[in-house]
Amino acid sequence: MNKTFKNPLVYILFLLPTILFYFIFMGVPVFQAFYYGFTDWDGLNPPVFNGIENFKEAFGDSDFWLSVLNNVYFILFSVVVQLPIILVLALLISNVKRLKGFYKTAVFVPSILSTAVIGILWGFIYEPDSGLLNQFLAIFGIEKIYWLSDKSTAMISILITNAWQWTGFYVVLMLAAILGIPKDLLEQAEIDGATNWQKSTKIIIPLIRPIIIVVMLLSIAGAMKALDIVWVMTEGGPFGTTDVMATYMIKEAFREYQYGYGNAISVLIFIFTLVITGLFQWITKNNERIEY
Amino acid sequence: MKKIFSHIVLLSYILIILTPFVFVLFSSFKENNIEIVTNPWGLPSTFNFDNYILAWKNAKIGTYFFNSFYISTVSSVVTLLFGAATSYALTRMKFMKASRFIYTFILLGLVIPTGSLLVPLYKLITDFNLYNTHWALILPYATFALPVSIYIICAFMRTIPSELEEAAMMDGLGAFGLFTRIILPISIPPLVTVFILNFLGNWNEFVMANFYLSSEHLRTLPVGMVGFRDAFNTNYAQLSAGIVFSVLPVLIIYSILQEKIIEGVTAGSVKG
Repeated sequence: MNKTFKNPLVYILFLLPTILFYFIFMGVPVFQAFYYGFTDWDGLNPPVFNGIENFKEAFGDSDFWLSVLNNVYFILFSVVVQLPIILVLALLISNVKRLKGFYKTAVFVPSILSTAVIGILWGFIYEPDSGLLNQFLAIFGIEKIYWLSDKSTAMISILITNAWQWTGFYVVLMLAAILGIPKDLLEQAEIDGATNWQKSTKIIIPLIRPIIIVVMLLSIAGAMKALDIVWVMTEGGPFGTTDVMATYMIKEAFREYQYGYGNAISVLIFIFTLVITGLFQWITKNNERIEY
Repeated sequence: MKKIFSHIVLLSYILIILTPFVFVLFSSFKENNIEIVTNPWGLPSTFNFDNYILAWKNAKIGTYFFNSFYISTVSSVVTLLFGAATSYALTRMKFMKASRFIYTFILLGLVIPTGSLLVPLYKLITDFNLYNTHWALILPYATFALPVSIYIICAFMRTIPSELEEAAMMDGLGAFGLFTRIILPISIPPLVTVFILNFLGNWNEFVMANFYLSSEHLRTLPVGMVGFRDAFNTNYAQLSAGIVFSVLPVLIIYSILQEKIIEGVTAGSVKG
């Protein structure tokens, strides 16, 4: 266009603050994670380069693998349990006329609240004596369960809370895609005598496949990021049974003063996330955008 | 008939969403733990606000509330200013490969799991002497929100027809004038959306706020609430009042702005 737009100085001026912030608060920490990940460092004394020692330690560390496994549980729970529920809820909401707006607004509520506060709220619900859940189960004569302090129930309790928080968020995403399908396609199907089930499985689900994949991708990325919910509800306990990679990283760095090791785990989270999401995108790469 | 079945399923789900809130709301008015245990489902016997007064006093909720508000506002404003300027440069001032490269580079930030930066960023924060100051949160919050904000703002700015600017250029406006007088006013809808989303995200952030601040008077609401729980973990009536305090403002904002919020969330992820 005009000369002002061709002046590189103006261009740089508009970009500089962002690039500077980006470089300092994202770029530098990423490089530092890679640098300190190869050192033995307690956070106080000078770091000592020790090659791939930290990574070797991580691969032989059963507590670390337990935390990896818990990230995997997060992923599996979101994809296998949560996703079908999300799909059903979105289909049901898209199909009703009355209360549609109410449902859409109400399901979204938990996902705008602070995860920390939701962790506290559910911690209270899981509380063995005054908690809602045990009091409810007592009606059926079920004995007191120590939800968050029993090894066998702690992880599933966290997964349920996490699902309670995020299901509505994905329902809204999926609903937007379903409502974006042209009306005449569905009306035509109705004229041809298609049932709701046929409409859903033969028309709607194939058409919204791209958004289903986006939701899966977002839940996988979310599962890899899971951190505050675990920290607030159990701090990774009992005995590390609910630790995810990120909480394990925090404990090693801030509690055990193993900053070098903490940074190495940080690098591993980074790599695992990239590999999993990359792999997922590669598997689903044939899903080009669907044009109506 | 089929519709009735749908409504039953959906209303049951809404019930699952609502029950925890109602339980906490009722508990917050109950006298003590004994009443919560003996009468878990019922309305509180008295509607006294004692728990609220005690929670407010014990938990310094006013201070935490102010801290959260201050941090969320400043960082969201910074993101908005930088994000808008950058988006403008990237969509309007085409410096060939540089624009494309920089845009791709910024979007790379979307795949960085920010939680994994917690430990290395801690070192940076202490090196800059920012540990235990509000800047320890404001600067990373502002930065981490930039990629998705620029993504949303760029998507909008690309749709602005260039005729408008050409006409304004005839009137002698420079790049800065075009940005502030033409582009920014037109871009208000996506800017509002981006601001609300970032504000809520920052308002709710817990992990950095928990590890980068140590003084009680600097804490944000989520961290303050966790501290309150740990200190008063046996008084569930008071804890419930505290939860209500921290949930209520967000619910009020949501009820006013829900359309904008939902629109922003769907715009950000569906168009990807």
